[in-house]
Amino acid sequence: MVSDGLLGAAVRKQNGDRFLTGRIEYTGDLRMAGMAHMAVVRSTHAHARIVAIDTERARALPGVIALLTGEEALGLAEPIPHNLDPAGLGGQHAEIRCLAVDRVVYAGEPVAAVVAETAGEALAAARAVTVAYEPLPAVLNAQDALAPDAALLYPGWATNEMIAGETADGDFEQAALDADHVIDGELRIQRTSAAPMEPRTYLAAWDERAQRLSWFGTTQNPHPMRWVLAVALRLSESQVHVVAPPLGGAFGLKMHGHPEELLVAILSRMTGRPVRWAESRAECLLAAGREQRHRYRAAFDADGRIRGIEDELVADHGAAAAGPGWGMAFVASLAVGTGYDVQCCRVTYRVVVTNRAPWSGVRGFGKESANLLMETIVERVAETTGLDPVEVRRRNLVTADRFPYRTATGLDLDSGDYHSLLDKVLSKVGYTDARERQAVQRAAGRHVGIGIAFELTPEGADIPGALVGGYDTTTVKIAPTGHVTVLTGVTSPGNGNETAIAQLVAGRLGVPLELLDVVQGDSSLCPYGYGNLSSRSMITGGGSALLAADELGQKLRTVAARMLEATGPDAVVLRDGFAILVADEGHAIPIGAVAHAAHTLAFILALGIDPAMEATCTYRPPNIRHLPDEHGRISPFASFSNAVHAAIVEVDPETGVTVLRRHVVGHDCGTVVNPAFVDGQVYGSVCAGIGLALTEELLHDADGVLRTDGFKSYLLPRATDLPQIELLHQCTPSPFTALGMKGAGESGLGGAQAAIFNAINDALRHRGARIDALPASPARVFAALAQADQAVAA
Amino acid sequence: MTPGTATCQLQLEINGGRRTADVDPRMLLVEALRESFDVIGPKIGCGTGDCGACTIALNGEVVKACLTLAVAAQDAAIVTIEGLASDGQLSSLQEAFWDHNGFQCGYCLSGMLFAAQDLLDHDLHPDDGAIRDAISGNLCRCTGYEPIVNAISAAAQAARSRIDKSRGSNEGAA
Amino acid sequence: MIAGALDYRLPETVREATEQLAVEPRDTCVIGGGTWVVPWLASGERTAGRVVDLRRVAELRAIRATDDGVLFGATVTYSDLVRGDTSAGPLRLLALMARGVTGGVQIRNQGTLGGSFVAARPSSDAPTALVALDARAVVRGPGGERRLAAVELLAGAMRSALAPAELLTGFELPLQQDGGIGYVKLKRGASSWPLVTAATRLELDSSGRLEAVRLVVGGATATPLVIDVSTVLGSQGDVAVLAEVERRTSAAVVEPYADVLADGSYRAAVAPVVARRAVAMALADARRDRSGERR
Repeated sequence: MVSDGLLGAAVRKQNGDRFLTGRIEYTGDLRMAGMAHMAVVRSTHAHARIVAIDTERARALPGVIALLTGEEALGLAEPIPHNLDPAGLGGQHAEIRCLAVDRVVYAGEPVAAVVAETAGEALAAARAVTVAYEPLPAVLNAQDALAPDAALLYPGWATNEMIAGETADGDFEQAALDADHVIDGELRIQRTSAAPMEPRTYLAAWDERAQRLSWFGTTQNPHPMRWVLAVALRLSESQVHVVAPPLGGAFGLKMHGHPEELLVAILSRMTGRPVRWAESRAECLLAAGREQRHRYRAAFDADGRIRGIEDELVADHGAAAAGPGWGMAFVASLAVGTGYDVQCCRVTYRVVVTNRAPWSGVRGFGKESANLLMETIVERVAETTGLDPVEVRRRNLVTADRFPYRTATGLDLDSGDYHSLLDKVLSKVGYTDARERQAVQRAAGRHVGIGIAFELTPEGADIPGALVGGYDTTTVKIAPTGHVTVLTGVTSPGNGNETAIAQLVAGRLGVPLELLDVVQGDSSLCPYGYGNLSSRSMITGGGSALLAADELGQKLRTVAARMLEATGPDAVVLRDGFAILVADEGHAIPIGAVAHAAHTLAFILALGIDPAMEATCTYRPPNIRHLPDEHGRISPFASFSNAVHAAIVEVDPETGVTVLRRHVVGHDCGTVVNPAFVDGQVYGSVCAGIGLALTEELLHDADGVLRTDGFKSYLLPRATDLPQIELLHQCTPSPFTALGMKGAGESGLGGAQAAIFNAINDALRHRGARIDALPASPARVFAALAQADQAVAA
Repeated sequence: MTPGTATCQLQLEINGGRRTADVDPRMLLVEALRESFDVIGPKIGCGTGDCGACTIALNGEVVKACLTLAVAAQDAAIVTIEGLASDGQLSSLQEAFWDHNGFQCGYCLSGMLFAAQDLLDHDLHPDDGAIRDAISGNLCRCTGYEPIVNAISAAAQAARSRIDKSRGSNEGAA
Repeated sequence: MIAGALDYRLPETVREATEQLAVEPRDTCVIGGGTWVVPWLASGERTAGRVVDLRRVAELRAIRATDDGVLFGATVTYSDLVRGDTSAGPLRLLALMARGVTGGVQIRNQGTLGGSFVAARPSSDAPTALVALDARAVVRGPGGERRLAAVELLAGAMRSALAPAELLTGFELPLQQDGGIGYVKLKRGASSWPLVTAATRLELDSSGRLEAVRLVVGGATATPLVIDVSTVLGSQGDVAVLAEVERRTSAAVVEPYADVLADGSYRAAVAPVVARRAVAMALADARRDRSGERR
């Protein structure tokens, strides 16, 4: 008999008191005796040959311990293993080194590294390194990069195309012929950055005597990180210990493949000192993502029913990298169609390399872009047919009776009730009233817009051939004192999943939360796992924790039954810290006593069972399908959360400034373990979507050098930019996962971005203006209105 | 401080205790706190005074410690997040943040607490707009600000209740 | 951390400050609150062998009445302005401007009027407001003290007209009728520094006609623009006045400023709107009687 007493409880974050009193140690708070500091010399050119690196002046500066150039590093490490090698999917492989050799392919690329006694001295020395470059022609956007005579970033490649692929089902050309309407359009999504509050920080300590590397760092995935370091440094994994201290936010940035991850280790080995590197905010903003152009066509009938969609996605990746950034274009292509019943879908994606900093993972990992595309198409269908955009959604969203539903791209949607969620959100925002009010406001000259968006968030991916696992493992142990330790292969970017896992285990084992610790992020202590990404932690970490807790619980109940002279484990329940006889609740023993007895009386009380008071279990979601179907499609996701957004904006027509008046979001991530944490994830995700819609953009100058290198120019949303976010929930459990949990953490982003985009276009519609690119900066909106006015005047 | 010397002896009162350390005069106050005084509560998120993660109280005013040179703070009284709880008891603001999930990764938490406390020191009836304005100098990438606003609102409410209660008991006594 | 060698000075009087500044004037950075200068030094955008920090010079933080106006010391902070006596005209505009400074209460506590002015960033609020209030900058140098119209101290974007070894010690604001004030700024989100600012002060005569008006637009050009709106004097109708304000502003923005946040054509297009809104605000303010009710 199992109990889930804490399931659904808004338990406070574990160790919250330590956070609140400044006693949590992030990577940048760690100190080691003899710790030295690294600074990186970066290319100032977008594309150039490295003629010479002069380190003499730098070497002479106070405190300098060592310097390393790309040539010197060649002998010290292998190329960085890829997180997701495009070659695995038929794309081009690029050898990525931790420091550039011979040529640089983006401004900001690491060219040399310095180690000094203090961070200030390292910085001064880095600035004193002189690099002579011979500039080469640079391609600074995808279009130029694809031109026939374009300069090539990688001479071994025939073109600047890293990878291309297609998912197709159904005959779009036929659908277009059959349909009442065919529209085409272009959607341009801007370059943005994950920008967690904590920049990347790494600390490596090589122990020459023991021949072991200890590595602490801001990584989402400690075990794969260990593999990266072992392979690159030609060590065995058992020589490498990776610890991921509490993270100050990740949002995809901290997935492995960054050159500095390896650099600190190389330099520690070279110098015999622990070496720490903490990136500056300007360095952190080099990490890019999302920049893509969609050229789409949609075929639909007068009744709004979409017959087919065709999309060509061209992603401007920046230079190649060892990180998984390019995968976001692949995922975007898989997610096109989202939750709409459109079986005819042809999507091609092309990832193009250009002379700018490479894509790193970002929140949404491509799904947010697919959602934006679909919601744009739906709005245009509404415009063309004259139907209300809500009605178009009603007529096209997959209905609740169709699950599990295989999309045109091969994804097996697990469960959902999209129509019900849509109704709830519309009711909450008061859609009909809002439209009536809008008419009145419009008549008074105000540009109020209402935007709706449906959002599908495939989560919990397993990518074949990569250390991106869809399963994970947990060990649950109980010590003789009764203290429970949970060792998990998942990690937390700070969202509280460790607490939610604790709730699950505490519930199943019947122990109070105070007697339970969750240990994450240690490659030596924790079972092999894939960390956090793709909102997987509760599905895989929670799922495996439940299995392990049940297995251990069974053993505890078996021992307790013997102590209580009961018939067997099923006669005992674990609750409130006690093993209780079901038939007579007055008979109970503290669980701690059971644990102690199991440890000390194994040959009496634990005969016939495995006496170890621990259990290690793996949870593998049954619905990830890697065997291709008859169309060659796979379904690599374990769950499909969804959301519906309604945004009300007001555009100031004289300045193009958009104010967000209301934002309502309905969210469905199946069974929720801790509603406070899920709410927090959704609020954060919606806020990030607002930033993507309105203010965030990475910009470069004509030479390809980043201009938006701080928070005065890369504009993140602040509290005064947002109204109260009105959040409601729905729960359609997954029929496949443990407890029916789905992933949470990325839902909110794409939908908020799309809803606001739609709202702005709604606000501009009566003026005959629209925008087809983001962000919806005041200048862009202003220009759209001016252009529309000119067209009217003409 | 003697000009031209390599290090400077910096004397500070940190969280009520007198501390002295040798600091490089080129250090920012937040760096000196973290590296020379081992006070790690204030964080570095941008170095340009935008994110607010380095916010502390200096001589009673909330300031961004990355915008101050360490040596400029000679003899100052500084309070950091490590000094907000008294005798191991979390303040009601800290409890409110915990109760309302006002922090996720926690990196912005130190700064947020100071901005929030500064507001509550001046205004116990802040509306939604006033609360958002009070934390407008602090960036958060995790929470979307909503839980933080809720936490601060709850803390203000709790403070008002305490005052009403103590007024009530005073009146009763009188 | 600042990378280069640094000789840090903390004078306690204006005299000490000017003496320290005179040692190596071209290699010295002066810090008011440090909100611009410290990050510049830390990033290497500026290098200086010497820093003169004014925070201990008490007389520079004073706000005091003079014979014909008010003197604001150069290191008066935005919070000082917000907390100050807001009954009189100039302080009302300065307080309004100060309350909205980007960066939160921390920046308001740390940032100084003088520091903002000398940084001469087109996006800053303080220069626009001070120029609108007819501020005179008080400058102390090796040759003594001089006074000049504040706007003359701004040579260009990010360039003050201070000579090496000169120290801005404060601003004198003349006594003015407490007419109407307006301050409007255009930003692209809370994180953004202003793209265009407009500050205005005006007076209405007893019959409600415009008797005096001073309008300054910042951010649209490299330095704050004093807009010649003398043509509206004597007018009474708001619609006509505001239309003229837009026209005059549009004509005045000839070389619009561009940066990573907005290009010149956008700034030029919206400057008239921002200016108009500031004047509209000031007109409404002027009509409000002292008890706060509209006349």
